Amino acid sequence: MKTLAVARGVAWRTLHNVFTNPSLLIPSIVFPLFFFTAFAGGLSRIRDVPGFDYPLGYTSFQFVFVLLQSAAFGGVFTGFGIARDFEGGFARRLLLAAPHRSGIVLGYGIAALVRWFFTATVLTVVALAVGMNVGGSGVDLVGLYVLAVIMNVAALLWACGVAMRFRTLQAGPVMQFPVFIVLFFAPVYVPLGLLRGWIHSIAVVNPVTRVVEAGRGFLAGSPTEVGFAFGAGLALVLGFSLWAFRGLRKAEAAG
Amino acid sequence: MDGPAIEAEGLVRVFKKTRAVDGIDLVVESGEIYGFLGPNGAGKSTTVHMLTTLLPPTAGTARVNGYDVVHQGPQVRSSIGAALQEAALDPLLTGREHLRLQASLQGMPHDIRRRRADELLHRVGLSEAGDRKVKTYSGGMKRRLDLALALVHSPRILFLDEPTTGLDIQSRTALWDEVGRLTRDDGVTVFLTTQYLEEADVLADRVGIIDHGHIVAEGTPDELKASVGRPTVEVVPLDAGEHERAAAIIARFGDPCGSEHGVAVRLRSSEADLAGIVRALDAENLKVEQLQLHQPSLDDVFLAKTGRSLEGAAEEEEGERGGLAMEPA
Repeated sequence: MKTLAVARGVAWRTLHNVFTNPSLLIPSIVFPLFFFTAFAGGLSRIRDVPGFDYPLGYTSFQFVFVLLQSAAFGGVFTGFGIARDFEGGFARRLLLAAPHRSGIVLGYGIAALVRWFFTATVLTVVALAVGMNVGGSGVDLVGLYVLAVIMNVAALLWACGVAMRFRTLQAGPVMQFPVFIVLFFAPVYVPLGLLRGWIHSIAVVNPVTRVVEAGRGFLAGSPTEVGFAFGAGLALVLGFSLWAFRGLRKAEAAG
Repeated sequence: MDGPAIEAEGLVRVFKKTRAVDGIDLVVESGEIYGFLGPNGAGKSTTVHMLTTLLPPTAGTARVNGYDVVHQGPQVRSSIGAALQEAALDPLLTGREHLRLQASLQGMPHDIRRRRADELLHRVGLSEAGDRKVKTYSGGMKRRLDLALALVHSPRILFLDEPTTGLDIQSRTALWDEVGRLTRDDGVTVFLTTQYLEEADVLADRVGIIDHGHIVAEGTPDELKASVGRPTVEVVPLDAGEHERAAAIIARFGDPCGSEHGVAVRLRSSEADLAGIVRALDAENLKVEQLQLHQPSLDDVFLAKTGRSLEGAAEEEEGERGGLAMEPA
């Protein structure tokens, strides 16, 4: 119970700061919207390229990627907040006040999720407003959003582990860059079949490719590679959970 | 709770090659104010960090409220409150929000959180500022809020790490009053680190003097002062030409020592000699402008134990550290 109390407190404080400070809230909403409108609008003629076979059109095709990207970066941005707390000393208050410290990681995780739900809601509403097609059933859509939640949690745990090891905002690029790389080495702008050369070779082995493909399948109502996508996502969550909790132990040892 | 509030045996903390704390043994009884006095970099904060479970010891053992700081961290944290050297506050939260967050972290029920926040804001004189964001608070207000935060869950043991550093005299006195009240009325045990001699002298029931990671002296302030020093008497004659005669008279009562304005002796026995000095000066018809008795200070104790004065040691430590953090703040 005390772990949950700590998690609730940490989540409340993180969300309070995000939702009462436009400078923290707006970027997490504006960036996904910017990517969505830039990609879906500026590259919309890709739908006419021979071999582009996504049945719902390019807006829906891009929506899935931007949704997953916003989930991943939502987790990373929360990692920035953790690093800021260590740098400013507030994390020490949490470590000192929380009888059960695992609740601190859980609290940051809850905050990352709630924050991303807000972004995802805005993004979905905007996408529907600009004519995004949806072919999947309610169950399919739940599958898409659960995949995004898994991406959010995995990225948060990764960033949390980095933040607790380095305990400075200067570690921001270490949190961000690998996530950026694995996302953009997936089939972002065109389907996997249209990629050529080294980028195709990397995309084929990139587990995020399966997650993106599965997400697009859910939206279209023809789920593909679901088992692999969820398996890869959950493996990332499990691996990064160990990474994050070991990071917490390192932060505790460093005082 | 039976037994001491805080016990440490052979406590050591090493940072790379520096032994910040080098084998500390201490016992703090329940309900007492223990002053941990020493210059910057002596190992005070590192000791507090180990006792509050913020930092694992490299060697040795410590028990706080009967719980082992290494193996029973959650129980230790539930039973202590701590206000560390830098008040780690969130500038975006109000004072009241801080208190409610702290209560929430301690798992206190919602209705009690609200009541406790109001009560503590009132106690530390922040009722009016309670709904202002902390970024608008002065240094003294932040310190008072930090103290209130440490008290949210009514801990039995309170750690205060240099609580008055940087405070004006009014805020300092107010904080001393509150610490005294906590011990007197609530029976709270206070472990207080300070580099201010006066603070240790006024507040602490017992004082441990730490230097280079070792406790070099321990006892009540009076015991410590009595152990190393005798009072001095300083006489300033009304007529500047009478210095030599005054020196000869008071030399009967002690050993001559330095005086800026007149002549002085370190008394051979006790301050009871003061009456004898007054009688001797009067008998010799020597008129005096000033006659002062100086008690030995804790700085004299530090000087006797380490060969340096506490203020000098602080500067020396700063120089040695060369601006690099050898221990967490």
